[in-house]
Amino acid sequence: MNTHEENYVGKSAIDEIISKHKVLTTMEEIQEASEYKYLDMQSMDYLSSQTKVPLSQIYSVATFYSFFNLKPQGKHTIIVCRGTACHTKGSKVLLDDLSTMPGCKEALEAGETSFTTEDRLITVKTVACFGQCALAPVVAVDGVIYSNVTSEQIKKILQNLQEDNKDENIRLC
Amino acid sequence: MENKFVNIKIDGIDHHVTEGKTILEACLETGIKIPSLCYLKDVSHNASCAICVVDVKGAKSLVRSCVTTINEGMEITTHSPAINQARKTNLELILANHPKECLICERNGNCELQELSANLGISETSFPKTKPSEKPDDTSLALVRNPDKCILCGRCIAVCADVQTVYAIDFAGRGLRSKVATYQNRGLGNVACTNCGQCALVCPTAAIVEKDDTEAVFADIYNNDKIVVVQTAPAIRVGIGEAMGMSEGALVTGKMVSSLRKLGFDKVFDTQFTADLTIMEEGFELISRIKNGGTLPMVTSCSPGWIKFIEHFFPKSLKHLSTCKSPQQMFGAVAKTYYAQKLNIDPRKLVVVSIMPCTAKKFECKRPEMNSAFHFWKDKLNLTDKENFYDVDYVLTTRELAKMFKKTGIDFSSLPEEEFDHPLGISTGAGVIFGATGGVMEAAVRTAYEVITGKPLPKIDLNVVRGFEGIKEAELDLDGTKIKVAVAHSLKNARTLLEQIEEGKSPYAFIEVMTCPGGCLGGGGQAIPTTWAIRQKRADSIYKEDSMHAIRKSHENPAIKTIYSEFLKEPLGHHSHELLHTSYIERGIF
Repeated sequence: MNTHEENYVGKSAIDEIISKHKVLTTMEEIQEASEYKYLDMQSMDYLSSQTKVPLSQIYSVATFYSFFNLKPQGKHTIIVCRGTACHTKGSKVLLDDLSTMPGCKEALEAGETSFTTEDRLITVKTVACFGQCALAPVVAVDGVIYSNVTSEQIKKILQNLQEDNKDENIRLC
Repeated sequence: MENKFVNIKIDGIDHHVTEGKTILEACLETGIKIPSLCYLKDVSHNASCAICVVDVKGAKSLVRSCVTTINEGMEITTHSPAINQARKTNLELILANHPKECLICERNGNCELQELSANLGISETSFPKTKPSEKPDDTSLALVRNPDKCILCGRCIAVCADVQTVYAIDFAGRGLRSKVATYQNRGLGNVACTNCGQCALVCPTAAIVEKDDTEAVFADIYNNDKIVVVQTAPAIRVGIGEAMGMSEGALVTGKMVSSLRKLGFDKVFDTQFTADLTIMEEGFELISRIKNGGTLPMVTSCSPGWIKFIEHFFPKSLKHLSTCKSPQQMFGAVAKTYYAQKLNIDPRKLVVVSIMPCTAKKFECKRPEMNSAFHFWKDKLNLTDKENFYDVDYVLTTRELAKMFKKTGIDFSSLPEEEFDHPLGISTGAGVIFGATGGVMEAAVRTAYEVITGKPLPKIDLNVVRGFEGIKEAELDLDGTKIKVAVAHSLKNARTLLEQIEEGKSPYAFIEVMTCPGGCLGGGGQAIPTTWAIRQKRADSIYKEDSMHAIRKSHENPAIKTIYSEFLKEPLGHHSHELLHTSYIERGIF
């Protein structure tokens, strides 16, 4: 019987593979551990020195995934879906409603991927698609998906967050 | 091993081709050069541009020939209306975001994108620009990145990561925001970049070019108060001919000298003179380290990309570096002290211009410690710190020199051959071979052997360290003392030898490292294109020049004997210490 035992991948080879690929997960958890939910430079420097993954490659990964933040995020995050279905159902109006916050419109028009208020209370971001097209337009607020969102609702959501009445929003869900 | 062959059809004709080749390679063998852009032999095949598409019978869509391997029975069509249209459309998509300013571009006339557009007959670009413009990155002393001209082919990233293991740049962002970037967009001058310029050498457009110093040099040439002397690195004489339209690897030493005189340099000198001087100093340093139990292996220090590499990535091993300055910096220091003194020239009026196959030399000459001549003269001329001057004022690449020749209408190939000026233009065959990987080692052995043994070298050619193998090693018998030596070119190979040193397992006494593939003849400042076949022709010319020299050992150079008797007195002496040796700094990775 052929056991193929001699063909097992050696531990050192596996270690090397792990060391190459664990970066993504590590970055996720570092961001989660950060108070303002972002990857600060010191963390990335340390991650690079420990994993031997070059800084340019860590930066490449961090800028590729919209999940990663390179700037401090607000206490609350509103993500507006700008996919095709949501767009046709009026998601631009929702974004415009949020853009009434001072500086938001300018930041997004300048090509920034996100906007955070100066008091770090609220961050506004967009994504290309949540995959919830049947419920368009959708908005994610602090990780909770809100469907068929109207202009009135988004204004109320924003107001609740600004007044720190986050729980009020659940009723709008 | 015997090659296996497969039978394929290219454009209806049967071919018998070696197994394992890509469609692009197989077609090239049969006389069809498939248009391509991101693909670069031995460097990258990212399949990002989609110019090299061909039709393969049975495939669902057109395939990229640069990454598709041939199979038995494959039927390939290399051109058809559909293929031609696809290539054209894909190129137009790239051109949509590329500035159409060829007339005022650094790479005008030597640009793969321009050439491809001409070849594919692009007469209009139907797609609008979609990417926002970005400012050039001019943070580096050696290189300038022009993101707007970047077509995201990824060659620079591949050469930086795979050939040099420096990883200074990578793709950042996604979709429309994709770009080649340094960490945090700090710029090349603010990250662990070695300035080797291999990125500029492989870039198909002008997205990465050397920092242009030609105008500043012209200004000093036209300034009658300045005495402008030029030094030429060994590899220029086998590279500048190409840049001036001559054949690959053309050996043009004499024409180069006469052209430089025509350009207006007051004296035309040779970096090979100080290459010989380097051998004296470095050879004696090695002998001293071996005899006195100094740090071994000793590693050469001529290649400034390599110096910055070790300062960034292996700062613990800096003690292994020879303390000798590079020949370029020795030249500057000697020109502004010994030569200025000898001819009674005010060193402040003397301008030293280097012609180098190298972009890292631009950084090297601006290292703050490279002002030995200033310190030499400071007390003698009552200079204040504000009057500080560098030993070498400007570094121009082979390409920049070609620009100057073209601008001034110098008919390079038809000019007569002339000789270098004395005394800093006198050199030996040992100086010439500095331009090829293994050359410093061979030159050092020619001198060290005779100094240690007191006997003439039995065989002058050290063939074992010649050629393009990544790491070459040899065992030398110095009259009973056996030492092992190694030669590495490309920083990837240098890294291997350094890791060995840091693990305490290095069996060598002496190591030569050159930053660029093939040594200086393949430097980041050389003529574009630089391929392995071209590097070989340049190397052939280098060794030909060496074999034609009457004197082929540095210690037999009469001008070297004179500078020691008149000025330096002895290798590793007081003046040598002040002018010809240097120290290094720990940089770390950032």
